[in-house]
Amino acid sequence: MLQAQALTKRVTTAAGTLTILSEVSLQVSAGDSLAITGASGSGKSTLLGILAGLDQPSSGSVILHQHDLTALSEEKRARVRAEHVGFVFQSFQLLPGLTALENVMMPLELHGVDNARGKAEFFLTRVGLNDRLQHYPQQLSGGEQQRVAIARAFASEPDILFADEPTGNLDSTTGAHVIDLLFELNREHNTTLVLVTHEQRLAERCRQRVSLEGGKVVERRPCEAA
Amino acid sequence: MLPLRLLWRNWRSGEVRILAGALILAVAVVSCISMFTDRLDTALTAQSHTFLGADRVVRSSQPRPPEWQPLADKYQLGTATTIRFNSMVYSGDNMHLASVKAVSAAYPLLGELTISEQPFATDPEKISVAAGGPPAGQAWVDSRLLPLLDVSLGEEVVVGEKPLTITRVIIDEPDRGSNFSAFGARLMMNESDLAATRVIQPGSRVRYSWLLSGPENTLRSMLAELKPLLSPHERIVDVESAQQGLAKTLDTGRKFLMLSAMISVLLAGVAIAIAARRFAQRHVDQVALMKSLGAGCNKIRRLYAVQLLVLSLAASLIGLLLGSGLQALVAASVSSLFPVQLAAPGWTSLLPGLLTGIVCLVFFVAPPLWHLPTVPPIKILRRELAVSSVHYYWQAFLGLLAMIFLVVLFSRDWWLSGSIVLAIIALLVLVAAFATLLLGLGRQLGRRAGSVWRLALSGLQRNAQQSVVQMMVFGLAIMLLLSLTSLRTTLLEDWQLQLPSGTPNHFLMNIATDEVPQITAMMAQRDLEPQHMFPMVRGRLTHINGQEPTDEIRQRAEMLRREVNLSWTDTMSSDNKIVAGDWWDGWHERGVYGVSVEEQTAQDLGLELGDDLQFSLGGLRLEARVASIRSLKWDSMNPNFFFLLSPGALDDFSPTYLTSVYLPPEQKLFINQLLGAFPTVVVIEMDRVIAQIQAIVAQVSAGVELMLWLVVLGGFFVMWAAVSASMESRMQEAALLRALGSSRQRLLGSLWIEFSLLGFFSGVMAAVGAEILLLSIQYWVLDIPLRFHWQVWLLGIAGSALLIGLLGVISCRKVIHTPPGRMLREIA
Repeated sequence: MLQAQALTKRVTTAAGTLTILSEVSLQVSAGDSLAITGASGSGKSTLLGILAGLDQPSSGSVILHQHDLTALSEEKRARVRAEHVGFVFQSFQLLPGLTALENVMMPLELHGVDNARGKAEFFLTRVGLNDRLQHYPQQLSGGEQQRVAIARAFASEPDILFADEPTGNLDSTTGAHVIDLLFELNREHNTTLVLVTHEQRLAERCRQRVSLEGGKVVERRPCEAA
Repeated sequence: MLPLRLLWRNWRSGEVRILAGALILAVAVVSCISMFTDRLDTALTAQSHTFLGADRVVRSSQPRPPEWQPLADKYQLGTATTIRFNSMVYSGDNMHLASVKAVSAAYPLLGELTISEQPFATDPEKISVAAGGPPAGQAWVDSRLLPLLDVSLGEEVVVGEKPLTITRVIIDEPDRGSNFSAFGARLMMNESDLAATRVIQPGSRVRYSWLLSGPENTLRSMLAELKPLLSPHERIVDVESAQQGLAKTLDTGRKFLMLSAMISVLLAGVAIAIAARRFAQRHVDQVALMKSLGAGCNKIRRLYAVQLLVLSLAASLIGLLLGSGLQALVAASVSSLFPVQLAAPGWTSLLPGLLTGIVCLVFFVAPPLWHLPTVPPIKILRRELAVSSVHYYWQAFLGLLAMIFLVVLFSRDWWLSGSIVLAIIALLVLVAAFATLLLGLGRQLGRRAGSVWRLALSGLQRNAQQSVVQMMVFGLAIMLLLSLTSLRTTLLEDWQLQLPSGTPNHFLMNIATDEVPQITAMMAQRDLEPQHMFPMVRGRLTHINGQEPTDEIRQRAEMLRREVNLSWTDTMSSDNKIVAGDWWDGWHERGVYGVSVEEQTAQDLGLELGDDLQFSLGGLRLEARVASIRSLKWDSMNPNFFFLLSPGALDDFSPTYLTSVYLPPEQKLFINQLLGAFPTVVVIEMDRVIAQIQAIVAQVSAGVELMLWLVVLGGFFVMWAAVSASMESRMQEAALLRALGSSRQRLLGSLWIEFSLLGFFSGVMAAVGAEILLLSIQYWVLDIPLRFHWQVWLLGIAGSALLIGLLGVISCRKVIHTPPGRMLREIA
């Protein structure tokens, strides 16, 4: 499903060239789950962005669902994302002017999916928010907002889901509920899951784990719990 | 349908409301002004055409060639004829050199000929509007002719060989004009009686006028065909050439209204640009999210383009409706003040509003949103990533381009457009330079200042770029408002000065030397205050520097073909101005009389200072040397002369006297008494003409006043938009400060200071810009005397500090009164 080969990302700053990622390679099979861990600034979010086709590496390649993302233009990568990719973000990224229902409908509408409303209602009900459809994000708690984001991610039925610190803004109990939900849906829809986290508990629920330090892979192992 | 759904959601969340509001305002104000000006213009032109009694008049000293009439018929124009000449009219032993006017049945084509059965009637109920000129065999006369000939209505007078029955007195006729060529009392008769009078003989001085009326375009086509047929004796007269003073007033009024329209577009444009920029900033996250979800650049561009197009169309439509409603309201209130029928607005007057909407969309809304679709999708993960946006300079440049386009389009006046654009560029440069300087100074001062001041100054510096931009916006808005307000005051004063109330409205002529003290006493008894008594002798200019004038000069100067009025005075009237040479106090040539010549006359005659002139006064010779050249205001209604001689020059020529006096309507019958006591005195009534001019000026003034208020509304809108744009970050800061324990007073104090300082600096810049703009408009566009505007400085600086301080505090009041915890959560 996802294959990265020798990914390197360098940026030029006033202080000189900075290497954020260095020769990172990894592979995730369909239906599998991968946790990318590491301290702040270790390059995990940059890696996630490149794997999801949001950003381009300085060198190396990413093959996602048989598409070489590094060889595609932004327009074509967008098409790949539209067809195969879903996202869950640390800061939820819900649009404040839209209701919970509209937030979930948005990607479906963007891709011209029929019955966007019905589908959005179904997924919101699935994450337990059937009584919050017409609420605006600021009327929802953090956990509820992340559940809306999860409903949005799964509503477009992606082959692979990228999650960036999905519990980073939540307390541990709410975080645990959200994680349960994420893995349940992952199983139900047989989605491939790539997530960035510094939470041990979450990382251990994935089948594979890659630890980064200073942009390099320092540890790679299958998780015992998985 | 997705763009429409997104637009609706954006609207609901308040994202596009300021943008839509500013667009609606721009279109509404422009269409209101353009529709109202169009209507006012049509009405005023129609009203001013009543001065001519037609849309155009062809004047001639010869009867009209018969082949002209078919031309007018071909174009289906309305036509009428007037034939004017001076002739003695008799009644028994009494006679008077009357100004006779023979008119055709259709006279007048425009305006009203008002008549009465009661001499000197002022009561509107006694006055009626004639459907045409007098029927054959009848004469209508000026009231003053009755005492002069000692006749009453129903009695006969004789013109040449034709007896006519006086059936009505004339109260007012449209084309009487303000240049009093008619010294004698008016006698109006039917054209068909003219031949029977046998008055007109070869060589008689007769003025034939052919009156034309019809739609402007048709008139132009017809006149284009007529022009090649005209001989040198014939000329086409329009309102402007007939009424130069009034034409200037109308033109200035029109320019002011145009200027108001332009300024309102400018203000709305700025508001739109600010709102669009804010919209773009707030949509960066949304675009990044949509892109991460797989929307490509082109799709995003399409989504936003359709949203904006629909928004602009809807806003323009609402703006047009609002504008036309507003102008109807304005027109209704104006027409209740003045008895003028406003024509319906032409459909072309909708175009400026629509065009404004399109230009605003292309030049103000599109640029800040241009980069939105290129927001990189990775922005969704890396919040700190800087997103490229169109630079303020580019936005300002494009905005300026749009301004120039609109200003030129609306005014079609390069000087006006140039003045505005120059003032704006000067202001922008000045604001940028000063703002940088002042913010630097603020940093120095801030270190030493008390805590409230420190808080305020650090607020200004933290948002330095935003503060500078706000300063530009405030400066621009205030500059434009100041200029417009000041210009309006100048114009109104200028117009009121032209014909203030109490302007002399009657001329008394042909007063004999021994009658002067009696008439003065008679007026004093009735509390009437006549102007200076000018001695007057009629004479003909025969030689210039000992030579008879050449044919070329004769062709140019009509006065050489007739006698002119000569006078002398030792004090110059206030409306006269020496443009070359000296007044009598500087005239030291012994044994030679001096003469002061009117500017245009001097030009026509090719006169220079020191030229010797010779006049023939009833066969006697008078020689004088050109001592000065004067400009004068013909429309001031004071007695004025082409030639004014030095004191004593006319002592040997037994002059008669001329004066003017203001006669209030209730004293109108004084003329009857005066003429009864002094039958040889000639009275020229100008009261109707003056009232007509004053009504037009009052109308234009009301329009000007109203437009000003609309523009002021636009100005507030811009400032509000500018303050709102920065509100989010300020609220966040204020909420944080409150959470950290800052007191309400301290926060309020620092907000006051911060915004008042912004207002103060903007006010200084605005005053400089406004002064530049006003002086250049006065000099190049309106051609009125240059004046320094101290009120602009006072009002600009103090007013804007207060106003913007208030605006800022009001906009931030929410953060002061909401618990900081809730505030922070809402903002987050």
